[in-house]
Amino acid sequence: MTPSITFYFQVHQPYRLRDLRITEIGKGDANYFDAEKNRSVFRKVAEKCYLPANRLMLELLERYPNFRIAYSLSGVFLEQCEEYGQDVLASFRVLAKTGRVEFLGETYYHSLSCLKSLKDFCKQVRMHTLAIKRHFGQRPTIFRNTELIYRNELALIARVLGFRGILAEGADRLLGNRSANEPFVPPDFPLRPEQEQTINRERWMPPSDSMHILLKNYRLSDDVAFRFSDRSWVGYPLHADTFTDWLMTAGGHSINLFMDYETFGEHQWEDTGIFEFLRALPRIWDKRGIATTTPSEVIARWTGTSEVYDAHDFISWADTERDLSAWQGNRIQQAALDALYGLEDLVERSHSEELAKIWGRLQTSDHFYYMCTKYWNDGDVHKYFSPYDSPYEAYRRYSHALCDLRQRLEANAKCQVPTSKKEFNHHSSRFNCFLQKFLGSWGLALGTSA
Amino acid sequence: MLSLLSVRSKLQPYDTFSDYSARAKAEIISLPRNAQELYGENLGEAVEQFTQLSVEMTKDVNPDVIHCHDWMTFEAGIRTSRHKRKPLVAHIHATELDRTDFHPNEWITARERGGLLAADKVIAVSGYTKNMLMRHYGIPGDKVAVVHNGHDREHFPVQSVLQNPLTQERNPFILFLGRLTVQKNPWQFLEMAKRVHDLRPDVRFVMAGDGPMLGTLIDRACELGLHDCMTFAGKANREEVRSLFAAASCFVMPSLSEPFGLVALEAIEHGTPVILSKQSGAAEVIQHAFTIDAWDSEKMADCVLTILREEPLARQLRSEAPHILRRLTWQNQAGNVRSIYQNLITG
Repeated sequence: MTPSITFYFQVHQPYRLRDLRITEIGKGDANYFDAEKNRSVFRKVAEKCYLPANRLMLELLERYPNFRIAYSLSGVFLEQCEEYGQDVLASFRVLAKTGRVEFLGETYYHSLSCLKSLKDFCKQVRMHTLAIKRHFGQRPTIFRNTELIYRNELALIARVLGFRGILAEGADRLLGNRSANEPFVPPDFPLRPEQEQTINRERWMPPSDSMHILLKNYRLSDDVAFRFSDRSWVGYPLHADTFTDWLMTAGGHSINLFMDYETFGEHQWEDTGIFEFLRALPRIWDKRGIATTTPSEVIARWTGTSEVYDAHDFISWADTERDLSAWQGNRIQQAALDALYGLEDLVERSHSEELAKIWGRLQTSDHFYYMCTKYWNDGDVHKYFSPYDSPYEAYRRYSHALCDLRQRLEANAKCQVPTSKKEFNHHSSRFNCFLQKFLGSWGLALGTSA
Repeated sequence: MLSLLSVRSKLQPYDTFSDYSARAKAEIISLPRNAQELYGENLGEAVEQFTQLSVEMTKDVNPDVIHCHDWMTFEAGIRTSRHKRKPLVAHIHATELDRTDFHPNEWITARERGGLLAADKVIAVSGYTKNMLMRHYGIPGDKVAVVHNGHDREHFPVQSVLQNPLTQERNPFILFLGRLTVQKNPWQFLEMAKRVHDLRPDVRFVMAGDGPMLGTLIDRACELGLHDCMTFAGKANREEVRSLFAAASCFVMPSLSEPFGLVALEAIEHGTPVILSKQSGAAEVIQHAFTIDAWDSEKMADCVLTILREEPLARQLRSEAPHILRRLTWQNQAGNVRSIYQNLITG
C-alpha cells in the first residue's frame, strides 16, 4: 500500500525578556518583555518565512485539490500576530478557509505545564482551543504537546480532554524494529483519581472514545528540517523526486513529517532552494498518486490494529537525547521551573488577568531552553540559539522577572480580603494595600530565592 | 633539556628566577657575578643591552625555532632569527594598549609592531588579543594562532584553607584580586561595591593586591561611604589567595583590557563563581560565568546580587565552571605550541 504523507508544522514565537535590573524589582510596574526585540524578530521571520511560506502553501492548495497540511500555532504566537502581525494572521485565515488545513491543539503558552501542573495544563489547552476556534473556526481534535514532550499518561489525559489523537516523537529506543509510520495506541491504565477529578473540573468536551499516537518519522523529517542545506551530508543536494523515493521506500500507513515552520526561509534560507523543493513535492506526489493527509484523516482512515507505544519516561523531539534535558538539564533550569509553578496558587488567588497573563508568558518553554548548558563542558563550541549572551544571562533576567512577579502577586493577595470580613476591614485593607505598595517600592525582598 | 640563564635586570618578569627554575627543574647556567649587573637605569638601554647579550650568548646554539615573548625580547629574537636563518615565533601575552588603556607609548608600540611583522608566526594568548593585533597592529589574521593560557590544578590541603580566619567570616564577601593599576580597573569595582552596598548593606568587599592606585582607591572608597564594608588586603601570598577564593561569594574581574586573566582560572579552580570583563581572554574559555562590559558597574552589581540571591545559580557556577580546567592544562597548551613549531619546521 502506498503511504500517505502528513505534514505538520509548528509555528511559535516566545516573548523574550528584556535586560531587567534588580533595582526595578518591586516598583510595581516593571515590564519584563523586550517589546522591540520581539517585534523585530517577529517581523524578520514574517518576511523570511511566514508570509512567503503561506503564499506558497496557498498556491499549492489551490493547484492541487488533494493537498493537505496541518499547523499548530501557539497562543503566544497568535498574541504576537495580533500585536504586530495582522498580515500573517490574515494569511493563516485564508489557508484555513480552503478547508484542507487542520489546526492542532497545544498549551496556549507553549509551556512545560504538563511537568508541573495538570490543572494549569488543562486550562491552557482549553484557552488554546478557544483561540483556534475564534481565529479559524475549527475545534482541534488532535493534540501536540510543547516540543513533542510526551509520555503515556499524556495520551490518556488528552483522551479525557476530548482529543482523538496525539503527536509524539518516533524514538528508536521505544520503537525497537517497528516502523514509526503506523498509528500506535498508548498502554491502557487508569489515571489517578485526583487526576481524573482535575481533568473533569477543567474539561470542555466529552472524552474521546479512542486515542491514537502519530509518530514523527525523525529521519525523513530531519532530512528536510536540519540537513537540507548541509553540504557535508551525503544526501546533498536533496531533490524532490529523490526525497519522494525515500518516502515510498519507508512505506507504511502514513509518513509523518513534523517540523518547525521556520524551516522554510528561516532555518533553511530561501537561497538554499527550500521553497522550490517544497513547491515541487505536491506536483511529484500528484503524478505518482501519493496522497497527503492531515493527522485526523490518518486516524480516520486507519483500519489496522495498532501496536502499543510505551513511553514510560518523557520523550521529546529535542536534540539527540530526545528527552527533557534541553529544558530541565541543569540546576538553574530546574530552580526556575520550580519557582515559576510555586506561584500558581498566588496567581489564582490574585484574580488578576494581567498577572495571570504575565505568569503565562513566563511559562513558555523557550525561557528554559535559553538556560541550557548541556553542550558547554569540554569547550564544545555548540551554542544554543538564544537572544541572550549566555544561559546565565537568561537566568538572571528570568529570576528577576519571577522575583518581581512574586512581589506583585503577594501585594495583590494582601489586598484581597475574604468577603465576610470585607466590610469590616475595608479601610484597613486599603491602608495595607497602600503600605504594601509603598514598601514594595523600597524593599527588595532579596532573601526570597526564585 | 631546558637551560636557564639568570640575569639581574630592570626588566622584571612575573615569576622570580628561582621560582621558575625550581618548577621547570631546569639546568641553571650562572653568569659570572660581574656580568649579572648588566643594565642601566634607562629602559631603552636595558633592552638594547639584553638584546646584545642574548645574541652573544646564543651564538653557538643551533635552534630549530626562535621563540620570543612580548616586545622587550623582540629585537633579540629578530636578530637571532636573521643570523641563524630560522623561523621566528612572537608570543603575545599583553600589548602596550592593554597596559595603558589605549594611551600607548609610541616607542613601545613601534617595537611591538616591528616584532609582529618580522615574526613567521604570532601566538596570541586569546582571541581577544588576536583581534587586537589585527585591528590595531594590522597583522593579518592567518599569521596569528591563538593558544589560550592554561592552569594546572594544585593539590592543596583543605585544612589550611578552612582554618584561615577569612573562611570564618559570616557575611558574604565579594573579591577583587589583582594589581591596583588602570588596566585591572579597580575603580569600577568600587562603583559596583557602592551599588551592591546600597541594596545589601550586609555584603563585604575585599580588594587584594598592591599597586600605584591604592591611595586613590582608599580615598574613593571613603567618598562612596564604603569604609565599613571594604577591606584593602594588600598583596596576598599563595595561602591567603586560596583562602580568599574559598571564602568569597563571588570573584569579579573588571579589567579594562585583559589579554587572558589567569587569576580567573585560579578562581574557578577554587569553585568561586566569577564575573568577568567581556574585554578579556578568560571570558572566551570560562563558559559558566557572567560576562559584563568593563565600564558597566551597574550590570556588574546586578550579577553580584543575582548570585547572592539565587543559591541554585551560585551552586551551578561553582560546580560547572571548573570542568574547563581538565582541558586547559599547560601540558595541552604546550602541545598546541609544539604543533605550531612542527608546522614551521616542516614548512
